Amino acid sequence: MSYISLDGVSKQYGAAWAVDRVAMAIEKTEFVSLLGPSGSGKTTLLRIIAGLEKPTNGRVLIGGEDVTDLPPHKRGVAMVFQEFLLFPHRTVRENLAFPLRMLKLPKTEMDERIDWVLGILSLRGLEGRYPNQLSGGQQQRVALGRGLVGRPKALLLDEPLANLDRELRQEMEVEIRKHQTALGIPFIYVTHNQEEALSMSDRIAVVRNGRIEDFAPRAEIYDRPKTAFIAQFVGRSNRFVGVLKREGATAAIDAGAVALATADRPGLKDGAPVAAYVKNEKIRLRTPETLHAVGANALAATVKHVILRGPYAEYVLTWAAGEMIASRPRAEVEFSAGDAVVAHWDPADVDVFPEKEAAA
Amino acid sequence: MRFRPGKIALIATVVVSYLFLYLPIVHIGLASLSRNSSFPYPPHWSFATMSRLLGNSLYQTALGNSLLLGVLVATLSTALAGAATIGLMRHAGRKTTLFLALFIAPLFVAEVLLGISSLIFSGLFLGLQGNLGSAVLANVVHCFSYALLIMATQLYRYDWRLDDAAMVFGATPARTFFEVTLPLIWPGLLGAFIVTFIMAFNNLEISFYLLGATPTLPSVAWGALRYGVKPELYALATCVNLVVLCVLAVMFVLMRTGLATFGHRPERERAAV
Ligand SMILES: Nc1ncnc2c1ncn2[C@@H]1O[C@H](COP(=O)(O)OP(=O)(O)OP(=O)(O)O)[C@@H](O)[C@H]1O
Ligand SMILES: [Mg+2]
Repeated sequence: MSYISLDGVSKQYGAAWAVDRVAMAIEKTEFVSLLGPSGSGKTTLLRIIAGLEKPTNGRVLIGGEDVTDLPPHKRGVAMVFQEFLLFPHRTVRENLAFPLRMLKLPKTEMDERIDWVLGILSLRGLEGRYPNQLSGGQQQRVALGRGLVGRPKALLLDEPLANLDRELRQEMEVEIRKHQTALGIPFIYVTHNQEEALSMSDRIAVVRNGRIEDFAPRAEIYDRPKTAFIAQFVGRSNRFVGVLKREGATAAIDAGAVALATADRPGLKDGAPVAAYVKNEKIRLRTPETLHAVGANALAATVKHVILRGPYAEYVLTWAAGEMIASRPRAEVEFSAGDAVVAHWDPADVDVFPEKEAAA
Repeated sequence: MRFRPGKIALIATVVVSYLFLYLPIVHIGLASLSRNSSFPYPPHWSFATMSRLLGNSLYQTALGNSLLLGVLVATLSTALAGAATIGLMRHAGRKTTLFLALFIAPLFVAEVLLGISSLIFSGLFLGLQGNLGSAVLANVVHCFSYALLIMATQLYRYDWRLDDAAMVFGATPARTFFEVTLPLIWPGLLGAFIVTFIMAFNNLEISFYLLGATPTLPSVAWGALRYGVKPELYALATCVNLVVLCVLAVMFVLMRTGLATFGHRPERERAAV
């Protein structure tokens, strides 16, 4: 029995379904991300779990108990809001004490818990400040602390790092995951940032138009996208549009200027219009001297410019039918703008989807 | 400093405006504190009229009634308008504007009309004789709309998601109101209370029709007019003005120290220390 279950949860606003028949089962020690574009229904789903929104249909179970009709203050879950929503008339210490006072904990235990949170989130010395006297990063830590301090049954996080700069965000990602492991409670983390989802989660649920497109371990989401939407949304890919030709155990895609080879796709008909995705880092580069044959999964290109990303470089290439990007570790041979190269990739790295879906 | 006609004209305008606003009040103040009360320039200081006012039992009863009327009306209209405003803002929807318009509409009814129609209504349908009770009810109708306007401007800025946060962290709806909502919106409530108090305290047009034989300060002053303006009336006006000024001073100090904003926000948040 999973710890949190959503059973056909839907939420209707007017005529539109913000959340549409969502079913999920989350384990007690799991870190789950809800990843999806803006307006896909992530916040609504989180608010339904918290009890701030009543689902139009479906049930929510926490710890085996049906909480669908329980108000938020009886659910024992906590939330870190995107806008922090710290109580502006309360100091940091009072903000952190709030969940504990509601739990009616004895004073000594309250002090202990607050001290623990101040310690793990390095907030010591800021106890007496009001939220508007804190920097964005400090406010974010207080909001996180307020979520952790009551040792909730689950912690819901709604894009808590969205307002932070990149460096602080990466630091916090590590912190958050550490606290989740230490507490042993499920974290449900909403984000539209794939890097965040990939860096912290055990499993990722990709949300699209209120529906769960796929809910799977993060490596699977990244390496074997189940739909064209996921292929496009997670990771950075090059897209080729063409027609599928099945040849026994393999399939080929005629994409005009280039032919792609891939494993067989039994679900797709011969001659079906398809879109193929190859991740940037799966594209390998050679000089034309070392790889002459421009056949399947290989094409001749010219380096247009090079974007340096520290440990790896992104090569923007022009080829006969447009542009593509290859990212390579800097330890490999480096190319510079104007170089002629041959880009090639493995059949296993080609993800193929029917083109109708890809266009949507 | 260079001669600048624009600046001089500006200062003159400001001075004239303030004279226009405050000269009558200052005049009454001087008149009530001097022996030559009909033309107190220069004033011959004396507390004679003041002490005569204090010795007048009618005026004392009237003051008591006015205070009672003011407090009752302010309490009732602030509570009702507070509930209405919170309801409108918290559950904002397509019909919010309509409800708001209907709540504010009584503002546009002339007070005299409101007085007369309330008199008829109270007599015919509620069976109320003219007394303090019916006057309170009629004044609440009027003050409710003002209180609602004042609070709406303040609560407009309130982030209702703070209530969500409180509830997620275990607060019942009642606890949420007293721990989070009220501490953040009380300046709006206090502002509405003070303004409606002053309005009801000073009201003549509505109260006049509904008070019956109960004297209040404005009605006594109005009655005194018929027998010629007596110096006591000056003293009375001065006292009332003093009370009102004190209340406004309290509001002003609260605003300056940043303790309360009454809907006015110089900066977005409390200043950082
Ligand atoms: N109270 C509401 N009334 C009507 N429609 C709403 C309401 N709340 C959300 N919606 C709609 O539901 C859909 C999902 O909204 P939601 O806030 O859950 O998206 P989201 O995935 O959190 O997006 P973002 O990444 O921008 O925060 C949106 O189309 C939104 O317009
Ligand atoms: Mg959202």
